[in-house]
Amino acid sequence: MNDFFINWLASAPVTAVPYALAALGLILSERSGVLNLTAEGLMLVGALAGAGAVLSLHVHPALALIIAMAAASLVSLLFAGLVVVLRVNQVIAGLAVVFFCQGLTGLIGTVAGWQNKQIDSLPSLNIWPLSEIPVIGRIFFMQDPIVYLTIAIFFGVNYVLFRTMLGLRIRSVGENPAAADAAGVSVSLHRIIAIVAGSCLIGLAGGYISVVSVKLWVTGMTGGRGWIAVALVVFARWAPWPALWGALLFGCIEAVIPRIAAAGIAVPQYLMLMTPYLATIAVMVWVGYRQSAVTREPGALGQPHVREERR
Amino acid sequence: MATPVTVEPAPASPHRFGRITLDMRQNLPPWKQAVFLGGSLAIGLVISIVILAFAGISPGELAGELAGVANADSLRNTLVQAAPLILVGLGASLAFRIGFWNLGIEGQMMFGGIFATAVSIAEIGPPSLRLLFMGIAAALGGMFWVLVVLLLKTRFRVNEIIATLLLNYVAMYFLFHLLYGAWQDARSAFPQSTPYKPFERLNDIGFNVNAGLLVAIAGVLVAGWFIHMSRAGFYMRFISSNPGMAKVVGVPIQTVTFWIVAASGACCGLAGYVNVASQEGRLTQSFADGYVFSGVLIAFLARNDPIVVAVVGFLISVLFITGQQLQVFYQIPFTMVQMIEAIIVIAVASSEFFIRHRVRWIR
Repeated sequence: MNDFFINWLASAPVTAVPYALAALGLILSERSGVLNLTAEGLMLVGALAGAGAVLSLHVHPALALIIAMAAASLVSLLFAGLVVVLRVNQVIAGLAVVFFCQGLTGLIGTVAGWQNKQIDSLPSLNIWPLSEIPVIGRIFFMQDPIVYLTIAIFFGVNYVLFRTMLGLRIRSVGENPAAADAAGVSVSLHRIIAIVAGSCLIGLAGGYISVVSVKLWVTGMTGGRGWIAVALVVFARWAPWPALWGALLFGCIEAVIPRIAAAGIAVPQYLMLMTPYLATIAVMVWVGYRQSAVTREPGALGQPHVREERR
Repeated sequence: MATPVTVEPAPASPHRFGRITLDMRQNLPPWKQAVFLGGSLAIGLVISIVILAFAGISPGELAGELAGVANADSLRNTLVQAAPLILVGLGASLAFRIGFWNLGIEGQMMFGGIFATAVSIAEIGPPSLRLLFMGIAAALGGMFWVLVVLLLKTRFRVNEIIATLLLNYVAMYFLFHLLYGAWQDARSAFPQSTPYKPFERLNDIGFNVNAGLLVAIAGVLVAGWFIHMSRAGFYMRFISSNPGMAKVVGVPIQTVTFWIVAASGACCGLAGYVNVASQEGRLTQSFADGYVFSGVLIAFLARNDPIVVAVVGFLISVLFITGQQLQVFYQIPFTMVQMIEAIIVIAVASSEFFIRHRVRWIR
């Protein structure tokens, strides 16, 4: 039984990283006032680009992850162009980008023949001698490098968002674009920066799934994790650190499913697979139940800004 | 002697290359709107054709496939396929009209199919009424799956976009649970239920028309009457154009919302029923694939108008049939259809910007 818990908790960070990175990327872009539903699609783009880079270009997995980030931020320029420049309804644009990415990645993955091919991946680190500590060693000091990098990324984004001028401008554009505009802050530029930077992280989340965690590409392999990340942002009230704890919670929930099957406990397989989605809905119910009038939602979330438009 | 006055050079303008401003357009003549719409649609289609060309389908082959839809056999398939598409388009437009983002179309279709199949397996009702009972059960199934979300939204302020999308996955795994378990056809290695009996299927009624299309057309007429002529439809238009005013003058917002969302779910449930009872003839694991965004697209292009939904539904059906043929003959995955649908939405949504704004470059 002890082994069960150690194996479970040791595999939780691997399932938590995609949620954490995707939610952080979404927070970055939603803090600038852009309602971002694109995570599911951009994660697929990152996953496909990462897998394709390893399979066809035979690059090092670390470089493949950078390619995944670049691919996702490239596609996010399409979303940024739609919502920032053309002021398209942000829900419609987000959905269109997700389904565009689902179709495109399915098409490219099949035509290029990347389906179900094994990927050589990053080895786990072994931080000796800390990894020799019983229980804690397995859980905290024998993860792959991206797990540790994710924590560093959280510190970095938190610093930029709350301690730098750039972060202040991004947040001001999200809270009150008209006032920010009057103060000389370019609303469009800062929203585009936030979307593209956030999408880099979403692409890394996707690349991590295909290159590091699952180690192959399957059409539609993100399986709704992007939508769960969108819910996670609401749960975290648009703040980075709560998003990390939320991601760990979902990582634990997702990681327990294969463990229960491996432990030989007889439960209906497909009903077990529902748990992440039902848990997400349960969390959202809890947020709605607990939430008083105070929300931390960015003031201008979902509103396009047109300087010339009278309000 | 006066010191010479030195003239300071004017500060460099921050807008050295001029700047771009947006003018609001009050009303653009319809023909100009049509030009912008048609132009962006054309750009979108060209992009789709280019992507398909990279995937290995030359424009000539694509044209051949599209022309093939016109022959009698394909026309029949297109009309059969149009029925569920029109129904999901109706479901989406009803919900969108009151600002409820129903993206659980696939989940509601699956529950429609599951409830209908349950009636077939339990043999409820005499054979002559079985189809009717299956249809009613499917509508109830779709309704059930969407009303869960309405309850979550009204009671706990859960965002319905995420809730409906997540419940699609839950419905999918429930369907798998049945098809890989209790409901699997013992004589088949595939995850599918036993075939329906002949009287449980929607059959052709002549002129290449399937009974499923009649269900869809009936849905269009009822929804058209409902939106444009009934009192509840008037309330609905009132709520969507000015919710605050509607509340003040005493429109029963909650009741109207409840029934419209329920009707939206029922349409999607019926779409699932029409699909399993006409095309598949049994419950399969992928009968609802690709309908979420099709519903959004049809409602978006039809501006939520039921009559236009029927026309757009037929056009998207042509796209579906072409996609199925490309899948069979060229091994192009069916998700390609979703990609083209998304490109169409992006093109049309972008054209609205140019219809509403004039972009000017001031030097």
